[in-house]
Amino acid sequence: MSSDSHAHGAKFTESGEPIDYLNCARGIKSWLTSVDHKRIGLMYLYSIMSFFVIGGLAALAVRSELAKAGGQYLTAEQYNIAFTLHGAIMIFLFIVPGIPATMGNFLLPLMIGAKDVAFPRLNLFSLYIYWLGALLALIALFNPIDTGWTFYAPYSLQTSSGVILMTLAAFILGFSSILTGLNFIVTVHKLRAPGMTWFRLPVFVWATYATAIIQTLATPVVGITVILLLVERVMGIGIFDPAIGGDPVLFQHFFWFYSHPVVYIMVLPAFGVVGEIIPVFSKKPLFGYKAVVFSTIAIAGVSFIVWAHHMFVSGISSTTAKVFSVITFFVAIPTAVKVFNWVSTMYKGSIRFDTPMLYAMAFVFLFMVAGTTGVYLAILALDVYYHDTYFVVAHFHYTIQGGAVIGLIAALHFWFPKMSGKMYNEHVAKIAWFLIIVGFNATFIPQFILGMEGMPRRYYDYPVEYQNLHTVSTVFAFVNAFGYLLALVNLAYAARFGKVKAGENPYDSLSIEWKTQSPPIHENFETTPVVSDWTYGYGKDIPHGAA
Amino acid sequence: MFQYFPEQASDFAEKVDWLNSLVTDISVFFTVAIVGTMIYFAIKYRRRNGVDHETPHIEGSLLLEALWTIVPSLICIVVGGLGYVYYDEMRNVPPNARTVNVQGQKWFWSFEYENGKKSRELVVEVNEPVKLMMTSRDTLHSFFIPAMRVKTDVVPGQYTFQWFRPIKTGDYQVFCTEYCGKDHSAMLTRLKVLPKVEYQRWLNDKSEEEALARMDRKEIGAQLYSAKGCNACHSLDGSPRVGPSFLKIFGRKEKMSDGTEVTVDEQYIRTSIYEPLKQVVQGYPPAMPNYQGQISDDEMLSIIAYLKSLDGTQPVAAPAATAVAAVAEDFSKLPPAEWGKKLFTAKVCGTCHSLDGSKIVGPTFKGLYGRQEKLVDGATIVVDDAYIKRSILKPMEQVVEGYPPAMPPYEGQFNDAELNALVEYLKTIK
Repeated sequence: MSSDSHAHGAKFTESGEPIDYLNCARGIKSWLTSVDHKRIGLMYLYSIMSFFVIGGLAALAVRSELAKAGGQYLTAEQYNIAFTLHGAIMIFLFIVPGIPATMGNFLLPLMIGAKDVAFPRLNLFSLYIYWLGALLALIALFNPIDTGWTFYAPYSLQTSSGVILMTLAAFILGFSSILTGLNFIVTVHKLRAPGMTWFRLPVFVWATYATAIIQTLATPVVGITVILLLVERVMGIGIFDPAIGGDPVLFQHFFWFYSHPVVYIMVLPAFGVVGEIIPVFSKKPLFGYKAVVFSTIAIAGVSFIVWAHHMFVSGISSTTAKVFSVITFFVAIPTAVKVFNWVSTMYKGSIRFDTPMLYAMAFVFLFMVAGTTGVYLAILALDVYYHDTYFVVAHFHYTIQGGAVIGLIAALHFWFPKMSGKMYNEHVAKIAWFLIIVGFNATFIPQFILGMEGMPRRYYDYPVEYQNLHTVSTVFAFVNAFGYLLALVNLAYAARFGKVKAGENPYDSLSIEWKTQSPPIHENFETTPVVSDWTYGYGKDIPHGAA
Repeated sequence: MFQYFPEQASDFAEKVDWLNSLVTDISVFFTVAIVGTMIYFAIKYRRRNGVDHETPHIEGSLLLEALWTIVPSLICIVVGGLGYVYYDEMRNVPPNARTVNVQGQKWFWSFEYENGKKSRELVVEVNEPVKLMMTSRDTLHSFFIPAMRVKTDVVPGQYTFQWFRPIKTGDYQVFCTEYCGKDHSAMLTRLKVLPKVEYQRWLNDKSEEEALARMDRKEIGAQLYSAKGCNACHSLDGSPRVGPSFLKIFGRKEKMSDGTEVTVDEQYIRTSIYEPLKQVVQGYPPAMPNYQGQISDDEMLSIIAYLKSLDGTQPVAAPAATAVAAVAEDFSKLPPAEWGKKLFTAKVCGTCHSLDGSKIVGPTFKGLYGRQEKLVDGATIVVDDAYIKRSILKPMEQVVEGYPPAMPPYEGQFNDAELNALVEYLKTIK
């Protein structure tokens, strides 16, 4: 458990605290110029969480307006702006950087026994690019757009000129994503500690690695798309608008060629998080480690060739639709494999229910719902009905909020002791968990029903027969939001004012990020660790190779 | 399990719902089984009183991995295959299907039948397959009939299609399901499925067509209400602005400024638009510009139809505008800029042109003089004395881009001295 820091030969500050990455240098400049992956991870974390709050407020504006049929607080234009801001901010500024830029940055070098990422300065540069993109997006708020986060042409060519700035922001944010991805790929290839073979890597590293590949290969396509949109908008060259010789369906192909893989940029790292938490809290090896690894790679690969399942009713040929439907099922299967493996890991375990485990277990349920409702949308005859209804809205939120966001919150709780050296209030964390899970399900289950009843998405107003379910959804959206607020305030409070020391390895993890002090020193490890065993050697004493 | 679909009104509906029900049953089964197992493990293998216990080192099972790869794959093949077959039916139009041309436009639908008849609601014959050939005049839309279980995007620059065979007479909701801007959620229409005899009668009945045309006029009238800028002075919610509200206006008895009482009928509406100062309602300024030559006879019919429809039975959203009171006095002795300011008030320019930089119906007057403006025809001009005067007398000649051609001409309503005064005033608004 909490072994003495002396064991690591730690040095001390003047006040007698062990020196770590947080107190080794102080002042705002030491942060803004830091190339330490841990500090960069934290700076990303505070940045994206700010946007999580802004995007969340936009969501509450949308839900408040929809609480009753007819106009409530917003005009139709304001409503359209609100749902666009919610989507664009949550996607481009919060959840795409999401787990990789925050937890990935913090953990990847620690988990492979490295001092830092392969290109630390490039890493800081990525953060500055992110900030530049974020700044542009904030400026764009003064001339807000109403295109939806999808920027579909030709509407995006006809509406507010704010589209130019907002898409430029998305373009710049893309570079941050690409550079982070490249950095991670090289890091995993070149900086693994001696003995850390590929099949000893924690699944979180695998997930981050697969994500990095998607980031690097798919993001340029959205960059190209956005540039084409800008060229058409500014120079009037007909690419997407049929009025000047373009093709609007082409835009959708381009857009989803990026934006479908990007869903896995969001959610694969969350799979990785759950794959770390369940073994630790069950004291069991991750069941079917290799199957989980291969399913991760499979999902990443298949994610590139399923984009047109967003376009079954867009006017594409029925042959195209059929081909993409078939390929889409190849995503469902590796996802199912993962869920089976997580649950099997708990078999004959010694299970403790700390907050991270509660989030991981909730994740399994939420992702079952997300996955199975995804199957409906892969089935052609059903997608024709569900496309662009609230069913899709609910499905998407189960994958992204129920998946990626819950994964991020789980990771924040699990590695909080690692990042801060302290422990948060467990009771408050569990209350917040309860509010989030209840609030979330009660917000979005009514939306599945609404979708089945035919309620279209992106509607400012709706026929009155949909009102009851909308009201329920709105009420619980506030519960959900309050849960997040409570969870984050609890963590932030503990990080700033917390007195409870977490100890070196509060959850008895065998993963090597816990084999250095918490919080870690600037260069992570006193000496380069030598790895002699698989990450998941729970329940055995003898050293063991890969399964 | 958990079926919340609308009525099954086409022969696709039963198949889609059945398949959906199958997928739901399988999904619920697996979700309950997996989450149930997880909860069972969680309870059975929990640490009692926080005491850790020995755990076995189990790395996996090839048999299980194979099992839970193959079983979901088989299920996917079955449900995906059924979806494929049903979808194929949806995409293969029977040769005897009748074609209806559908056009989407912000934010309404229009339909044209094989005999040339046009309508704003889709009318079809029961049990007869119908093919919708669809296109859009502006941006993407999508034509969704929940009761028929069909939906296809409507794309500008190309034709898309869908077909269905209605199996029940009735009246069904149609939604636009591709986001298309401000009134996306109001881009609704109805599908009316009629028995054979009634359908034939409808299709060939001219009076019916005229009735439908009247209904069309309501919508055209609603559009004119915004496009011509009526909304700046006339509310839809009963609140007075510069002019009387349009809510329940038709048939209302109004007292005129000369003391007479008139009932608002077709003729009064026409007079009020073409000769607005002839009969001004008491309590309102004689502020309305003359729309003679601005609104055609045909458009007038649509406006009348629209005003008739505002009978208070249906709630309407009202755009905001500022009410400005006008004062009729002679200010020609004042310095030109102040005189211009009085004219600005008296002629209620402020209902459409703000002084604070905000956009109402027309461009703001703040910083107008000397500003570069892009016109709808692409040309760029600098606002000078000549442009201002021209814009007042013949506003349609050079409309600023991004604004509706809504301003009425004031030819004959201002003399040169007044125009100069206005220009002087505009120069002062920086």
